Amino acid sequence: MNAYLSQVKAIVWKDFVTEFKTRELFSSMFVFAILVMLIFIFSINLSVVGANQVGPGILWVAILFAGTLGLNRSFTLEKENGCLQGLMLAPVDRSAIYFGKMLSNLSFLLIMETFLLPVFMIFFNVDIGSHLGPLLIVVFMGTLGFSALGTLLSSLSSNLKTREIMLPILLYPLIVPIAIGSVRMTGQILDGKSLADMMNWVGLILCFDIIFISVSIMTIDHILEE
Amino acid sequence: MTESKPSPNPGPAIQVQGIRKHFGHLEALRGIDFELKKGEFLSLFGPNGAGKTTLIGILSALTRPSSGTATVAGYDVKEADPEMRREIGVISHASFLYADLSPLENIRFYATMYGVDQAEERAIEVIDEVGLKPRMHDRVRTFSRGMLQRLSIARAIVHNPSILFLDEPYTGLDQHASEILKEQLQALHTDQRTILMTTHDFSRGLEMCDRVAIMVRGKLALWETVSNIDPAGFERQYLETVEQAKELR
Repeated sequence: MNAYLSQVKAIVWKDFVTEFKTRELFSSMFVFAILVMLIFIFSINLSVVGANQVGPGILWVAILFAGTLGLNRSFTLEKENGCLQGLMLAPVDRSAIYFGKMLSNLSFLLIMETFLLPVFMIFFNVDIGSHLGPLLIVVFMGTLGFSALGTLLSSLSSNLKTREIMLPILLYPLIVPIAIGSVRMTGQILDGKSLADMMNWVGLILCFDIIFISVSIMTIDHILEE
Repeated sequence: MTESKPSPNPGPAIQVQGIRKHFGHLEALRGIDFELKKGEFLSLFGPNGAGKTTLIGILSALTRPSSGTATVAGYDVKEADPEMRREIGVISHASFLYADLSPLENIRFYATMYGVDQAEERAIEVIDEVGLKPRMHDRVRTFSRGMLQRLSIARAIVHNPSILFLDEPYTGLDQHASEILKEQLQALHTDQRTILMTTHDFSRGLEMCDRVAIMVRGKLALWETVSNIDPAGFERQYLETVEQAKELR
């Protein structure tokens, strides 16, 4: 078990060092997310439509779109110089590779969201300070499911020539339950409701998080093989 | 170079029986049989598309054979046992190195993946062995092809494997870099490692090996000890063997 955790940790560490040196992923995800929000802000009259009604949807569209950029890069990095093959040669459980990459993607997205939420607050003039705790829980649950499924599909599409196109085509239909749940919960939190008032949505997102992680562990062996 | 650890398994280092591999309708390997004793060095020649890389892929448990059996260090390659993976190192034309990490970060990462004790110390030791210690903190992206190949050797031996698979290691190297690589391969062979090397370079291939094989269209067309090979006439022998094997098909 210790060796397994060391391997997962080493993969996360390697991705962080690479990102720290290149700063390609975080900057591109963050700038893209802000651009998405800006486009919506300029196209919507917030004095007519309440920010609490449209804001959560726009926030999650920005997170999902920007996250897809990161996911696309995730396994492309492993393909450069045949590094994924090098990893496959090592006595590493394939699920350790999955968990390492998934935790890296999750961490990058959470860091990006930490910077994005204050920008969202300013752009939409909403007070998230008083709902920060529940909002962070919702953001974490939604991002976990997105990273879990996205990492699996990123590993699958990384072998394809059209991977940049295939990843969103595969990912967006499957992520719909988590996306709807996250948008609804974020809206209700901004309206002042507590998590206890929306346990059905919490249950739904947690359920899909568990399903996506379980399916990934069961299938990653076959996906990474050959 | 550090001496390889003795393999716990008795018997040949590599044993291949009736290995076949299909990719759809294409039959890449059409029944390969051979045996390599511990410490032997096999140079495997053959034209492009002969199946050399596929064979190495199967022996290193990256690719599953369609039929037949193969054991490496006593382990069935189909099982892809983690212990078998610890016994083998692979050097390919791809370096398997992360371009934005330094040599130390790369080798320490792979050492951790292989469960090597004191990964950092071991990484520095093997980087020093391939003569790259002065550059061990630079980004790999800035390295020449020759330096990358030397660092690949460090990556492949960081866990001290008893068997090495080298897939065209001389590709893209200039004369100086080839000479350095040759010296390092000689040192690895002296350490009693079993080595299987595919190459198109006749002189490099013949100068270190114990056994010579030629593969054509997924079959071994020649299997000889190097003492039975005339280096001066090998190019002609190779061309004739390849032509005959193509005609027989």
